[in-house]
Amino acid sequence: MSIHSLSCGVALLAALVTLPAAAEQAVQAQQQRQQTQPLNNAPVWREVRSEQAGFTSLPAPEAGVLIQSEGMTWRAWRNGPVTLYGGLALLVVAAAIVLFYLRRGPQKLRGPPSGNKVARFTRFERIAHWGTAISFVVLALSGLAMLFGKHVLTPVLGHWLASLLIVLGKNLHNIVGPIFLAFLLVMIWHFARDNIWEACDALWIRKGGGIASGEHVPAGRFNFGEKAWFWIGVTLLGLIATASGLVLDFPNFGQTRALLQTVNLIHGIAALALTALSFTHIYMGTLGVEGALDSMRTGEVDDVWAKEHHELWYNQVKAGKTGQDAQRR
Amino acid sequence: MGRMKFLCDAERCIECNGCATACKSEHEVPWGVNRRRVVTINDGVPGERSISVACMHCADAPCMAVCPTDCFYQTEEGVVLHDKDMCIGCGYCFFACPFGAPQFPNGPAAFGARGKMDKCTFCAGGPEADGSDEEFAKYGRNRLSEGKLPACAEMCATKALLAGDADVISDIYRQRVLRRGKGTDVWGWSTAYGKPQPAVAKANQEGKK
Repeated sequence: MSIHSLSCGVALLAALVTLPAAAEQAVQAQQQRQQTQPLNNAPVWREVRSEQAGFTSLPAPEAGVLIQSEGMTWRAWRNGPVTLYGGLALLVVAAAIVLFYLRRGPQKLRGPPSGNKVARFTRFERIAHWGTAISFVVLALSGLAMLFGKHVLTPVLGHWLASLLIVLGKNLHNIVGPIFLAFLLVMIWHFARDNIWEACDALWIRKGGGIASGEHVPAGRFNFGEKAWFWIGVTLLGLIATASGLVLDFPNFGQTRALLQTVNLIHGIAALALTALSFTHIYMGTLGVEGALDSMRTGEVDDVWAKEHHELWYNQVKAGKTGQDAQRR
Repeated sequence: MGRMKFLCDAERCIECNGCATACKSEHEVPWGVNRRRVVTINDGVPGERSISVACMHCADAPCMAVCPTDCFYQTEEGVVLHDKDMCIGCGYCFFACPFGAPQFPNGPAAFGARGKMDKCTFCAGGPEADGSDEEFAKYGRNRLSEGKLPACAEMCATKALLAGDADVISDIYRQRVLRRGKGTDVWGWSTAYGKPQPAVAKANQEGKK
């Protein structure tokens, strides 16, 4: 609903600013020119490029616009910097993770696990996480196929198979998008409390999370790295990508081409940044940190793991202070 | 083999919509899709001009450049065609096209379910066998393969809309400009084909003398 009113608002604003005054002037210019130089139509040709709608008897949206030039700009941006730097960003982040893994390997527990389990994620939290995660992966893969498929899939699979996959991907993308948004909102609403700034985050930042030094840095339920992912990735980029996605997914509210072009660029840039960031989260949650995947799979962690990774949270759980976080609901 | 182009002479177009009607009839275009349309600038004001517009079959076609599945191809005659079997209905060609040529049978539907893109084929059909039933069902009649020119231009009562080999139609247009004694622009050509064609540029210059 809000997207509808937003897009209508933007369209209305654009119409209000450009239409009346300019149209009046163009009509006057044409009338004058007809008297002084009867066959000189320069004012008409100027108007053709101004994107004001003329009269047409065909009732299609924007059918009265003869030339819409911004599409050329959109094409230049999408096929140029968005494809090039977006692709580079993904490759650079992926390469950096591979290099880091080859040099440092996974972060193992320092001591042997005790076998005592601590509840870390409730069933509700895990469903919210995996719902977001699975729908995100579907969206990311299908989105990447739509931007890079022509350069990556088509040369390998051929036109027929590649286009079949992209057809499937496009339809999945448009249906899974709103599902992702629903999970995303639950995630943001539920996890925001545990991601607010704490005093220990300053220490974490000063020590770079101990990633380089391998030093132990105490953290609450989530460390600053996880919080950065939550606020910048999940919340900011996630909401930009889904809000812009809705404008594109439901073009049946009278969106103009100019709006769709702009929103498509915003969507692409936000989604590419989110995907690049997600590589780090996926790495840390699977290969990067021993025990991290189990915590989100089973909801439980070994108390040695809890002490090593989230010492302050572990102490609170021990003291029974954060009931919501410690107990299954 | 020539380079096929459309040319609409705004001094002659009377906004009868015969071209749009001929196109719909010739190709049995689905309801809601209009491959060609007529737009009137400054309607009702002295000096109003009407222009018929469809796909211009651009030299560096924006639709072709942005298609995620690369379903477009350009024939030896410069006609831009597409393969509907590979179309995903994303609407990117519609975002990119300056002339508003790409159309969708379902229109701007929820969940982006637009259906397969449809546009003017310069009456040259699609990738299926020339004149086959499959080709007709998806793209309409293939008049070019029968040695005929596009139906819209053939039907034009005032011969405002010209379709055919670029050299031939710009020659006709040049002679008209000379006869009128006033210069005018070839509508849409700089957008569709890049720099003005030498013959037309010359005609414009001669017209200004």
